[in-house]
Amino acid sequence: MKHVIDFFHHLLLPRQSNNFRSKLLHHDLLTAYLVFALVITLGVSHFQNQNGSILGFATDISTQKLLTLTNEERAKDGLSELSYNLKLEEAAQKKAKDMFAKDYWSHYGPSGETPWDFILDSDYQYEYAGENLAKNFLFSGDVVNAWMNSETHRDNILRKEYSEVGFAIVNGVLNDEETTLVVQMFGKPLYPVSALQKKMTPEATLENDSIPAKIPNVEAVLSDTETNLSFFPTYLNINLVFFAVLVFALFLDFYFASKLKLIHLKGKNLIHIFFIIFATIGTFIILKGSIL
Amino acid sequence: MEIINYLKKELQRHPFDYLLFITVGVFFIMALSIFKGERLIEFVILLSFVSFYIIWGIYHHVIQNSIHLKVVLEYVLIGFTILFLLKIFILP
Repeated sequence: MKHVIDFFHHLLLPRQSNNFRSKLLHHDLLTAYLVFALVITLGVSHFQNQNGSILGFATDISTQKLLTLTNEERAKDGLSELSYNLKLEEAAQKKAKDMFAKDYWSHYGPSGETPWDFILDSDYQYEYAGENLAKNFLFSGDVVNAWMNSETHRDNILRKEYSEVGFAIVNGVLNDEETTLVVQMFGKPLYPVSALQKKMTPEATLENDSIPAKIPNVEAVLSDTETNLSFFPTYLNINLVFFAVLVFALFLDFYFASKLKLIHLKGKNLIHIFFIIFATIGTFIILKGSIL
Repeated sequence: MEIINYLKKELQRHPFDYLLFITVGVFFIMALSIFKGERLIEFVILLSFVSFYIIWGIYHHVIQNSIHLKVVLEYVLIGFTILFLLKIFILP
C-alpha cells in the first residue's frame, strides 16, 4: 500500500524523486500525451477512410434513441406515442440525400422542393406533416434537447395531431465539409374516413388538395441502420478524466511550488489550467450542432 | 486560504497578461457558440486559440526574461495535445 501511495505522490506532488515537479507534467509524459492524441486522431481518420461513413461511428446518434427521446418528450406533455413509419423514414432519407446532392441546408430546396414533396414521393398520404432538421450533432440526446429548446421545433415534436414519425441520419459532404444530417419527418396518415373532415396545416394544404385519400401504412418497424457502437461517449469520458487529472496535477504543482518557493524553468501553471478549462467548456459546445 | 493568497499574488503580479488570456478565452467560447455546427470554422477557432495560447506563453516568458526552449516546448506539447484530442469531436 505504501508503494502505491508513494507512486501517486511521485506522479502528483513536487518532491525530490521527481525533481520537484509533478511527474505527470514532465516533458517525457507531456510528449507521450501528444503522441497518444496523435495516434487516436490518425486511427480514427484511418478507420473512417477504410469504412466510409459508417453510421453510428461518425456520430453516436441512432434512430431508436431519437424515437425514444421524442416519445419521452411527448409523454411528459401527456401526448400519445408516435409510431415509427418506414415511408416517413424513406422520405427523410430522400430529403437528406437531396440536401447533399444539391448542397443546401434548408427546409426548402433550391428548385423549390418542399418537405411535403419527399413525403408524397414516398407514397405517404398525409393529413398533417412536419419536419425538423439538425446537423453535426454527436449525440441523440443533444439533438432532441436542441429541438426542445427551440420553440418552433418543440411545437413540432409536441403537436398532438401527429401519430407517426420517421428519421434519417445520413453522412455526406455539405458546403465542402463532412456533415451528419438528421431529418425528422412527422405525419398523420390520411384515412379515407377522416379525409372528409380533415383539418390541414397551411403547408400541407396545397399538397393535399390534389391527392386522393388512401389507407396509410401503419407499420411500426425500426430502421436497421442503428448500431451499438459507443465510441464518442467513451472517448468524451476519457478526455474529461484526462483534463481533470492534468488540472489537478497542475494545481498541486502550483500550490506546492508557491508554498516551497521553488524556482523552476517551466510554463505558467495557472495559464495551463485556464487553457484546459476553456478547452473543456469548448468541448461541450462542439458536441452541439445546429438545427433548422 | 493559503492557496487563495498564492493565486491572488500570481494574478496581481501579471494582471494584464492574465486578463488578456481570459478575454481571448471568453471570445473563444463565444465564437464556438456562434458557429455551432460549422465544423470547419470550429476547427479554425480552436486552432487560433491553441496558437494564441502558445504565443501568449512565448510573449509572457520573453517579458519575464524566463524564456527557454523547454518552456516553449511545454506550451506546444499541451496545446497540440488538446488540439488533437478535440479535433476528433470536430472533424471525426
